[in-house]
Amino acid sequence: MEVARERSAGRVILEARGITKRFGTVVANDHIDLAVRAGELHAVLGENGAGKTTLMRILFGELQPDEGEIYLDGQRVRFRSPRDALRHGIGMVHQERKLIPAHTALENIILGHPKTGAILNLRQAEREVSALCERYGFRVPLHAKVWQLSEGEKQIVEILKELYHGARILILDEPTSVLSPPEIVKLLQSLTRMAKEDLAVIPFITHKLPVVLEHCDRVTILRRGRVVAEMETRHATEQTLAAAMVGREVGLQPERVQVPLGDPIVRVQDLWVRDDRGILAVQGLSFEIRGGEIFGIAGVAGNGQEPLAEALAGLRPVERGTITLDRTDITHAPVLERWRRGLGYIPTERREVGSIPTFSLVDNILLNYHFERQFSRWGILASSQARELTERILREYSVVAAGPNAPARSLSGGNLQKVILGRVLSRKPRFLIACLPTHGLDVGAAEFVQRKILEAKQSGTAVLLISEDLDEILALSDRIAAIYEGQFTGIVTASEASKELVGELMAGLRRERV
Amino acid sequence: MRAVIGGYRIQVERRTDLRWWHTALASVAAIVVSLFLVGFAFLRVGANPLEVYGEIVKYAFLSEFGLPQTINRATFVLLAAFALIVPLRAGLWNIGIPGQIYAATLAAFGVAYAFGAKRSVNVQLPGELIIPLMFVAALAAGAAYGAIAGFLRGRLQVNEIVTTMMLNWAMLWIVAHMIREGGPFMGRTAEGEGFTLPTSLRLPQILGVPLTVFITVVLAVLLTWFLTKTTLGYRIRTYGESPRAAEYAGIDATRISTLVFALGGLFAGLAGYHYFATVPGVFKIPKNYADFGDFSFYGLITGLIARNNPIAAIPVAVLFGGVSGGARFMQGKLRLAFGIDYALLGVLMIMMVAFQALAHYSIRVERQATVPTPQLELERGESRVESPHH
Repeated sequence: MEVARERSAGRVILEARGITKRFGTVVANDHIDLAVRAGELHAVLGENGAGKTTLMRILFGELQPDEGEIYLDGQRVRFRSPRDALRHGIGMVHQERKLIPAHTALENIILGHPKTGAILNLRQAEREVSALCERYGFRVPLHAKVWQLSEGEKQIVEILKELYHGARILILDEPTSVLSPPEIVKLLQSLTRMAKEDLAVIPFITHKLPVVLEHCDRVTILRRGRVVAEMETRHATEQTLAAAMVGREVGLQPERVQVPLGDPIVRVQDLWVRDDRGILAVQGLSFEIRGGEIFGIAGVAGNGQEPLAEALAGLRPVERGTITLDRTDITHAPVLERWRRGLGYIPTERREVGSIPTFSLVDNILLNYHFERQFSRWGILASSQARELTERILREYSVVAAGPNAPARSLSGGNLQKVILGRVLSRKPRFLIACLPTHGLDVGAAEFVQRKILEAKQSGTAVLLISEDLDEILALSDRIAAIYEGQFTGIVTASEASKELVGELMAGLRRERV
Repeated sequence: MRAVIGGYRIQVERRTDLRWWHTALASVAAIVVSLFLVGFAFLRVGANPLEVYGEIVKYAFLSEFGLPQTINRATFVLLAAFALIVPLRAGLWNIGIPGQIYAATLAAFGVAYAFGAKRSVNVQLPGELIIPLMFVAALAAGAAYGAIAGFLRGRLQVNEIVTTMMLNWAMLWIVAHMIREGGPFMGRTAEGEGFTLPTSLRLPQILGVPLTVFITVVLAVLLTWFLTKTTLGYRIRTYGESPRAAEYAGIDATRISTLVFALGGLFAGLAGYHYFATVPGVFKIPKNYADFGDFSFYGLITGLIARNNPIAAIPVAVLFGGVSGGARFMQGKLRLAFGIDYALLGVLMIMMVAFQALAHYSIRVERQATVPTPQLELERGESRVESPHH
């Protein structure tokens, strides 16, 4: 009883006071206060660039604050390094996985633990790790090699690793970003259990606000390096959270607009495509998209969406079947011919495929223009033309950048996506492929991107929208196809679609006649 | 990294913007440090380092015989550097510079041979026709030999480092076959070197150096322009930064890798033509032609130090061209131990490459405003414990 009361009283486990960090003239953290109490799942929300990463790195000992103090159980502490922080019981689960793919989950979990001496006592370790799983409701095959695990399972392995190494305070960087909706729910349930068990769990999140509301008890919201709100989620709504993060009212659900459909622009018939491992990842897909229509493909990552998009864009050979664009067969056409015929492609990987981080924005704009007459006269780049176009895009898409010559890597994810989107849409594509267009973007940027895609549709573009965010698919698409293991499990119109129906279809639990 | 020394805070940070003068400064610092370090070696063998360096500079840059040699060697190194730079801009490594040089040299002398140049040094041949032919043949052969590796890389993903090295060996022995005893290009002396180029087939000299020197300087400017301002240059850079983004942008990998290796081979070809067919005192494929293949690797280092910038490669090439000749001369003149000239060159190269890494960091020293005393902190911490939050 005694203990229980102490927990419910919300004893402060971790407290940061007046944390300030400057980089040159930029104040990344401006007197940030954060208090995490026992028994509460406390999320830190903020857009990209709000100062979350800096705060995380300070709490984790990777950076030293210029001002401010950190207290653990009321005791002032200072972390000289991440190692030092771990000694104090602070664990961190990064966005990028730091696991060894060829080792088993269990081996990864115990790797580097002081108890793991020269002789491996795997059985003893397994008992302890299993106990942890039991306690917090994690399910992960401990003897599977890490490369065989899903993204969600890998993340759980990292969490278990931190717990096994004695973390009492767990910082999670964007834990929901790589997970499918059911995985997110499961993870947050486990995190809640951990929070109830006297651990402090602090997820740092930029998006997926509905789940945050549902599972977290309290949120601290950062904007431009400051705490703009700290509230209990039962007093909050999605709108108030978003408004606090962005600093203005945000329309979360863009209005779907009906425009009269034009002729079919894209026709895909019985398409088969192999992925990098040589496996048939796309198996006999057929569909057509008409002008002014958004055709959404819903699915959990890795069910063939990526090979499909790449095959349509000409980056991956087609095994069987045909692709026609405006009645022309482009199944085997080279990339440039497709672009000239009106393809526009927004790839999933913004920094690896969609842009070149070291290049200036002008040179990045040229990625989709270097083959056009106006931009290459007698083999010489028309730099003033390119510069003008870049400036126009930066203006029209209100991109925050130092200027057209700023390197792409200096842009935040949202701003970079705006540049890529602006570049592709400025070509007025007949057929737009948008892969995960708002993935990882903050609320404001995501809303902007979605609005622009709707505008393209209104101007008569046929849009193929591939997204793992079911809410986004439902909000934007006119027709929705659910993809599972390379096949459509159903194609439904917007009016027939519900979250439950599409969710079951994409999980492969149900099949409609396609 | 941060350290506090006597009230000053010294902060070392990685630069986000590396400018050309950071690199230049690092190179100058590297030269100073290497001269200082190698100075001990000279002291050890009983020579005054300052006198040694004085001799090197006097010979390489101020003497009537040394200066043209410096210029000719620098031109050779610079062209070899271009041969590295162009493929490297596309992210590919041209280790095949010697092979491309040999191929070009064989082609140039092959043209001369076809017109009967082997008969005598004094044979009168129409130079205004044959010299351009030799020039073009050299460039074409270098480009073609380079293109092999590029094509294999682009089409079949064969590692270009391996192929270019193998191609070096192949051409090394083909040259040997051509000039050694009984080979078609064998010279009159039959001492394992090629025939001497007739005077009528020698490129005109301007201001005491071959025309190729001036061509090379113009090429440095043209190459910079090509890489930064033309569409092809843009495609090369795009492919070099990110092959996947290049594919997305519709840039053909096979075409780009073949093109950059052909261009690289072309520059290597010019280097071969320049040194063997135009430099006074050479005018043949010498017995020690393989040493020049090795020497072309100075171009590799030069390209790396110049961070792929053709103009920036000029001073570096002049340095290596000058020191390589000057140090050898000094060693002979001062009767120093064998190999000390190489020691100097080796340390110079290591230092210059190593200092490039340092150029990426900035060092800031600032006075600390206030140094908080430990007691004060302890007090603050304790008061926090006594009055818990909320």
